[in-house]
Amino acid sequence: MFKKKAKKREKIDIIFNIIVTFFAVLSLFPLYWLVTSSFKNSSDVVKMPPDWFPKTFTWSNYTDVFNNQPAFTWTYNSLVVALVSTFALIIVSSLAAYAFSKLQFKGKNILFIIFISSLMIPKEVMIVPLFRIIQDFGMVNTLSGMIFPNVATAFGVFLLKGFFDTIPDSLREAAKIDGASEFKIFYKIMLPLAKPGIGALFILNFVQVWNDYLWQLVVGQDKASKTLMVGVATLMQDLNPNFAYKMAGATVAAIPMLLIFIFFQKYFTKGITLGSDK
Amino acid sequence: MMRMKIIKESNKENITGYLFVAPQILLFLIFLVYPIIEGIRLSLFQINYQDEIFVGLDNYRKLFSDPVFIQSTINTVIFVVFIVALTVVFAMFVSAAVFDKNAKYVSFIRGAYYIPVMVSMVVMSMIWSFLLNPANGLIPFVARELEVASVNFLGDTRLVLPVIIFVTFATNVGQAIILYIASMIGVPKELFEAAEVDGASRMKVIFKIIIPMVKPTTIYIIIMNIIAVLKIFVVIQLLTGGGPNNASTTLMYYLYNNAFKYNQLGIASAVGVIMFLITLLLSIPQLRIMFKKD
Repeated sequence: MFKKKAKKREKIDIIFNIIVTFFAVLSLFPLYWLVTSSFKNSSDVVKMPPDWFPKTFTWSNYTDVFNNQPAFTWTYNSLVVALVSTFALIIVSSLAAYAFSKLQFKGKNILFIIFISSLMIPKEVMIVPLFRIIQDFGMVNTLSGMIFPNVATAFGVFLLKGFFDTIPDSLREAAKIDGASEFKIFYKIMLPLAKPGIGALFILNFVQVWNDYLWQLVVGQDKASKTLMVGVATLMQDLNPNFAYKMAGATVAAIPMLLIFIFFQKYFTKGITLGSDK
Repeated sequence: MMRMKIIKESNKENITGYLFVAPQILLFLIFLVYPIIEGIRLSLFQINYQDEIFVGLDNYRKLFSDPVFIQSTINTVIFVVFIVALTVVFAMFVSAAVFDKNAKYVSFIRGAYYIPVMVSMVVMSMIWSFLLNPANGLIPFVARELEVASVNFLGDTRLVLPVIIFVTFATNVGQAIILYIASMIGVPKELFEAAEVDGASRMKVIFKIIIPMVKPTTIYIIIMNIIAVLKIFVVIQLLTGGGPNNASTTLMYYLYNNAFKYNQLGIASAVGVIMFLITLLLSIPQLRIMFKKD
């Protein structure tokens, strides 16, 4: 960038970049292998030496996953859990983030400190009491049981407060003089201005909940209440020796994430880096 | 009159503030604070299907005399040390090599390393289990062709830890790379220009400027990764099931088995409390940095 004009590149820099590029391509290889294997028939997929590209191209592994397994139900469950958790998180945490950023109330700072301190605690370490709460609410084997703990995280508050902080207070004061209620100011003025933050939160949380495993495994024990990640993982214990069929299941679970990544790459970079330099 | 009005105003603002944070606080109390307290309480009880008997610290005592728990702890520590070290070193290497190159190339590198993170540990574990399958996997095939002795990567007690360390590292390093690249792009250009005037080599620039400047990111990556590796579960369940002979079992896997297979809720809660305390301790340096800036 800044050294365009001067200085030829050092040899060591060139070597490093060749290594980095080589490993980058290599790190995509497992996914290439996944997708191509999913189109092979059951004998070709285990053939050694392997075909680097499917010789006979078949969709039957995919139709098998959807016909012999409740893969539609699993996909639907995953979508509901990820979407509802994410929308609920956005509503709840944008309200709180706005209050922490723009309103003055007693105990605000101490409350915020407590919220932020919880950021690092993974819900997995309290999976036993959490599961018992869900049990008491009668939410085992329900999607709500999977959704609630995901909305309780302080991550959204932390991320969105940063965005509200960049919006000038004068906007709020002007609206106040015009007689707008606090909620109206939040909803009509501040929320639209915080859109980039909400976008980043939406994608980060959607991906996280979609890819979550342990909690969904524990709550969704029936075949019908499993999410896609958990359902697909059960294919591993399936006695069907056809690997291609299991790879087809894994591909189905991976595709939405790959699409999201291709279309929203910049949101990721923004959202992921937010935690580190705040 | 005036003062009354001000007091009334600030009361009103207080109430509005509480109303805005109320839903979040409610969820926070039910699904975060209460479970922590309840987890600590449960860890002091022996829990059967019907009743709970107070046993004090017995669960903790039992843990430390259980060889499987000791093994899980040792394995977890090994995973944490090696995975975090590999991640930091490799991510720093990749980012330092590419951060000042053109935007298209940077975004290709970032994407290539990040895509495995995106598609989740479940999918990646399934692929690796397929690639490592001793009967017909690609990697044992290549190992046989190259005449490397053992091909049973997941069934050999000496190989299972390095293999899992590698798989976890390869799947998750993309996150650290994204963070480092962003942080290195943010290093003030004057520093590089000054170094250029002095005729410093690229290696010198990396070690004397870049690595010291991205130290906060390094701390963040180390802490985040320690916590992530601490709760490592999917890869164990899908690749080895903790075996062979508990050689690859981890704390999280041990917790899960006790809670949902052996119905030892008290023991499982005690493990949860220990893990909770470790994460809390670990997050203190990061929290300090975050509050200082606020």
